[in-house]
Amino acid sequence: MSDGERRQRFNALFASYSSDIVAYCGWRSRSASDAQDAVADVFLAAWRRLEELPAGDAGRVWLYATARRVIANQRRSRRRRDALHERLVLEATFVPQEPTSEQALVHEALRRLGPTDREVLLLAEWEGLSPAQIASVLGCLPVTVRGRLHRARRRFRTAFEELSEVESDLSVRRPRAAVEGGS
Amino acid sequence: MNRSQSIEALQRANPRRKAGFAESVQAAGDAVRARVGTAAAGSEPRTSFPRGRLMGVVFAALVLAAAAVTAIWTIGSPGAEDATAAVKRAATLSAAAAERSGTAVVRITHDGKLWAGTTIRWRGADLAVRSDAPRRRGRPGSELLVVDGTVYGVEPGRGWVVQGTPENIDPGSGTTPDEYLAAVREDVGGVTLRRITGGMTGLSKRSPDDGSTVYSGTVAAGEIARETGFKEGQAIRVFPFGYVAHDEAANPSALLDSAVTVGANGAVREITVSWGTTASAWRYTVTYSGLGATPAPTAPANARPLRER
Repeated sequence: MSDGERRQRFNALFASYSSDIVAYCGWRSRSASDAQDAVADVFLAAWRRLEELPAGDAGRVWLYATARRVIANQRRSRRRRDALHERLVLEATFVPQEPTSEQALVHEALRRLGPTDREVLLLAEWEGLSPAQIASVLGCLPVTVRGRLHRARRRFRTAFEELSEVESDLSVRRPRAAVEGGS
Repeated sequence: MNRSQSIEALQRANPRRKAGFAESVQAAGDAVRARVGTAAAGSEPRTSFPRGRLMGVVFAALVLAAAAVTAIWTIGSPGAEDATAAVKRAATLSAAAAERSGTAVVRITHDGKLWAGTTIRWRGADLAVRSDAPRRRGRPGSELLVVDGTVYGVEPGRGWVVQGTPENIDPGSGTTPDEYLAAVREDVGGVTLRRITGGMTGLSKRSPDDGSTVYSGTVAAGEIARETGFKEGQAIRVFPFGYVAHDEAANPSALLDSAVTVGANGAVREITVSWGTTASAWRYTVTYSGLGATPAPTAPANARPLRER
């Protein structure tokens, strides 16, 4: 492959999948700068291994799998310095600046899931990957992914429902409390 | 609230919908261009040819040469056509029975030691999958059941848990009981059986004392490890039931030694594929039993609802 062809292929790859990898690194990394570093590392790996990179959707899965490994390496290198790392990741990742009520519920429900459940659920629902593709990204059996996805969806639904009920109760009580407080 | 409402809310929270996402992609593009530009100016791209793959090609060439010799010996020899026809007959018979029910024990050994394993029992739409792997992620002995359209799994410390029922699983999500069943049965049932036996070449035959007949030959690795995927960023080939194909088996054109054992009843009893060297010998085996006669798995008596958690 000539230099021009490499660049052409790389540009096409970046144009097709950069938003996917930016989104994925965004919700998996602990900060915006870590996410940006991870995205750059992923595409640098893609540039170096361009000849081995499969075409089409398989290339997209390759990028996700590489991104996952890059982020895992980032975390490993920081773990010793930051015992609260996982917690910070959750807070940084899942609390938006000005969440709507529904978004806040979604992020809280996600926070209540275990990391494995959360990752498999978001790879399916946010990244649109099939169970077989998720299995490729995680390096496990498709049947295992199906099981985890089952469990994650059920747990998310349960958490979301519980939170919605609490939210609903609070919204009913708030006006009454205001009246009582004013009397 | 139904399941779809919670999932729809989750989908609406996708970070792609957040304000500023397009700017994030733009910023990432700038960073990537800077990194790649530096790398491109500083060194040539990595075009390594992994040693393992090189060895695979060498080995495949040796196997091809051996297969050619085998072919010379078997082509035109009396009984070669009979062997091919007999294996296909056995596969057809077994596949028909496997559509109803069966038990398949899948094993991979490395240098004679168990590397990974799964036992699958199925009858109609019911299914039991048990992991027997000693060194894989997950728990040896963990089991997944699909009984009457309900999925059960075992959770540590809780025992059996109802993981899903038809009314709360979206069709097409890849996780319905029917989808489980289709995936597993394709891996261990008739489709795979027909493909492997149909792809075998250079067949020879021997008859052990137990009344069975063993047909030996070669089969292209790509006929068995058909799925492709990625593990830790590396391209891999995957055997039925998700096991990574190591060494030569990762090369789809490599010819691997294979054997099909047909029982005295005319049905396929075992498929064995082996490859590697004395220093690193692999064996993938699927042993069938109870084809057409395996009882249905039963639902666990004290399964708890997932929601109790």
